[in-house]
Amino acid sequence: MGVAGDGVDLAAIKADWIGRELETTTYLVDGDDMVKWAVACGETESRFIDPADPDFQAHPTFTSLFMHHPGLPAEFPKFSDRPGMDGGKSVELLRPVRAGETLAGTASVADIFDKTGRSGTMYFVVHRTTFRDEAGEDVAIVDWKLITPGVKA
Amino acid sequence: MTAPRTERLTFDDVELGDDLPETHPDVSLEKVRLFVEASGMPFARFTDNEAAKAEGLPGALVPGIMSQGLLAVMIHQWAPGCRIQKLDTVFRFPVLTGSKPRCVGAVTDTDEDTRTVTIDCTLISETGETSLLGTAVVALD
Repeated sequence: MGVAGDGVDLAAIKADWIGRELETTTYLVDGDDMVKWAVACGETESRFIDPADPDFQAHPTFTSLFMHHPGLPAEFPKFSDRPGMDGGKSVELLRPVRAGETLAGTASVADIFDKTGRSGTMYFVVHRTTFRDEAGEDVAIVDWKLITPGVKA
Repeated sequence: MTAPRTERLTFDDVELGDDLPETHPDVSLEKVRLFVEASGMPFARFTDNEAAKAEGLPGALVPGIMSQGLLAVMIHQWAPGCRIQKLDTVFRFPVLTGSKPRCVGAVTDTDEDTRTVTIDCTLISETGETSLLGTAVVALD
């Protein structure tokens, strides 16, 4: 794929960015926030809302909490000046997240692609954060789908 | 709304095509405020109708990642003790804070080797739009 109709050279952007590691940030998993998150969602299972439960753990998608930090770097190409949108999140949980642990989230660009429909071309960037524990084991992988419309025809 | 199940559901209890009991989650201002406090997203567009409208939105919105959590709760209510291994969601239409959305789901695949099931799940807005489309992989005993 070469230069798109709106002047975006998607092939070059993909070659330059897919697989590129961005930055790593550490996060402390807060037990109070875990409870608030689960209760706000209407959870009733003790393992998610009671810190005294021997299996107390974060709600399955809790690591989405850490997803906007960091986002895409300032030098990431702009597809247009039109506002983007959050296309969704995918959370893969490899083991329960526990209160008090520290996770290191390493962000990368997992995929870039376009789709064209009635409203023109939309560009999708999959921003992936892989969370690892203090032993370096993978805990969760969160994909954040960022959608940017192309320039107006 | 069906009361949450109390006994554990095992893989052998599940049939391809089973519907999950529909849920009617509470997205009141109180619950959304609690969520944004937990998630560190103190943006007025989630909790203040006027601020949201000033941004061109139809009203205060339920955060997308909270809506994702509502689908997870539906799955837990269907199968207490299950382990959600993956939940992939597409955000399609806003859910308004204080509205009355509902969650539905169905089993679309089963894997005897891993004792996991795949569930297609949807959050539907009060006015009938598909707000969130999701696919979950869930491990059962």
